[in-house]
Amino acid sequence: MISLRGVFLIAKSVLIEAVRRREIYVIVLAASLLIGMVMSIDFFDIKGLTKFYRETALKVMGMATAATVIVLAARQLPREFERRTIYPLMARPISRLTFIAGKLLGVMFSAVFCFALFMLIFVFGTWRLGGEIPWGLFLQHIYLQLLMLLILATLSFWLSMLMNFDAALTVGALFYFSAAFASTVILYLYDSSGTLFRWFLLAVNYGIPQLTLFDLSGKAVHAQAWEPLSFSVMAQLTAYGLSFAVIYFAFATICFRRRPL
Amino acid sequence: MTDTTQPVIEACELVVEYGKGAQARRAVDGVSFAVQAGECVGFIGANGAGKSTTLKTLMGFIFAQSGGARIFGLPPGAVESRRRIGYLPEVALYYPFMKARELLELYGGLHGMTRAQLREKIPPMLERVGLGERGEELLKSYSKGMQQRLGIAQALIADPEALIFDELSSGLDPIGRHDLRRVLLELKSKGRTIFFSSHELTEVEALCDRVIMIHQGRIVTQKPVAELLKPLNLFEIRFADINGELPTEVKEFNPARQGSEWTLRLDDLERYTRALDALRRSGCEVRGARSLTQSLEDYFISLVEEARS
Repeated sequence: MISLRGVFLIAKSVLIEAVRRREIYVIVLAASLLIGMVMSIDFFDIKGLTKFYRETALKVMGMATAATVIVLAARQLPREFERRTIYPLMARPISRLTFIAGKLLGVMFSAVFCFALFMLIFVFGTWRLGGEIPWGLFLQHIYLQLLMLLILATLSFWLSMLMNFDAALTVGALFYFSAAFASTVILYLYDSSGTLFRWFLLAVNYGIPQLTLFDLSGKAVHAQAWEPLSFSVMAQLTAYGLSFAVIYFAFATICFRRRPL
Repeated sequence: MTDTTQPVIEACELVVEYGKGAQARRAVDGVSFAVQAGECVGFIGANGAGKSTTLKTLMGFIFAQSGGARIFGLPPGAVESRRRIGYLPEVALYYPFMKARELLELYGGLHGMTRAQLREKIPPMLERVGLGERGEELLKSYSKGMQQRLGIAQALIADPEALIFDELSSGLDPIGRHDLRRVLLELKSKGRTIFFSSHELTEVEALCDRVIMIHQGRIVTQKPVAELLKPLNLFEIRFADINGELPTEVKEFNPARQGSEWTLRLDDLERYTRALDALRRSGCEVRGARSLTQSLEDYFISLVEEARS
């Protein structure tokens, strides 16, 4: 079955590669430049600038980390085949479940590493602008974003079992960007649709995770108007996010279990 | 430890196909063989004969359409059987952003070795494969030969009971091959079971107890090496002349000069004995005399040509 030590060892190898490759740093640098440009704009009063900075920074952080996770997760398996590193790895006494769980954990470790770099930039920027960070909402936002990244990682893993890297990357990215307005579009279409199409829309609505639920950036920016979410809401969001992650992970595992290497 | 009553590696009417329906291509077609504990068996065949496919099926990487395989009595890919096996893939490439030490820590760790065991085993293992001073370098700077040496180290790191090597000496220079042969002979003397495919037939000849030959997905022969290397009724004598002069009684055997020596090739025992006597009488220095045998390569080529025709 699953070997926890095996999972951690494989995850460590994924993290080592993510840290030693330059991609994450390039993404962080590009996003930081964007955030730096926002900071340099001087046409708001200082209070307005802090809010503008926080909002932009959180959005950019979220998008850049999501892009990193989709790329990392979608390429894990194709790259193992391309380099043929999968053979010496799978010749070890580990199950395929251990392999895929290790890869997923490694991607999540890399996401945390990327997020941590962004957080440092965010905290530094807020401090430079003299603003305060609403820690309660901010930490809740980070937690929910990590949950969203887990959904994206498991989905990208599954997609990479079904299609090649380029296609998995495209579908994963489309999924992430369309998820922001999918529920709004469904809401508009719902009222003007027939019964059958309504059922379809409902199925889509419940079948696709509503990624906007995991984004508290707006609330974190306007912290004066918002309290941190209650424990029960956080628990429900956790259950909601985890259920999608588990389903996608199960699909990925089933696909990988009988796949010739 | 190994149960000596059951084969370590066993294939029974193994059939493996690539593709589906009308496009299906049979890569392995009813292959059966067994490798006993402590045996060193070479698996040889031309490119595309089905060697790698068979080995991948034994490792559980690909699945057989019919027939079966067992490793230590367990189905291919069973975690427990892989615990006792060291495997070297056909093309060995390793994570370019890792160091050799880290890679061996990863593979050894997955084999259940403790940190203390890894600390103790990795430096001598790298030394053994000739990478002693390169353990802290990133693998992206490694040449193909170095990657292959590392591949051998990763296969041996957990001290497995059986070794399955796909294209044993691929990418190795002559020194690398020599080192590898030394390692394998050492493992053989320790009673490890070794099953490997190779295009280097001289290597197979030197190392193996038995050879399994595959052609177009089918086993064409499996015999002890000694049985395949049969005498050719050809004899060869190497000798040195006296002060550049070739005695007349030796000239009649038509010797050929090879560097500072002369070589005589004779096709019957009676002439061979007469030539040896003549050389002794004339005072020439005989440096070597042997009965020529058919090499594994000759045998392999004749079998493949026979199968083609």
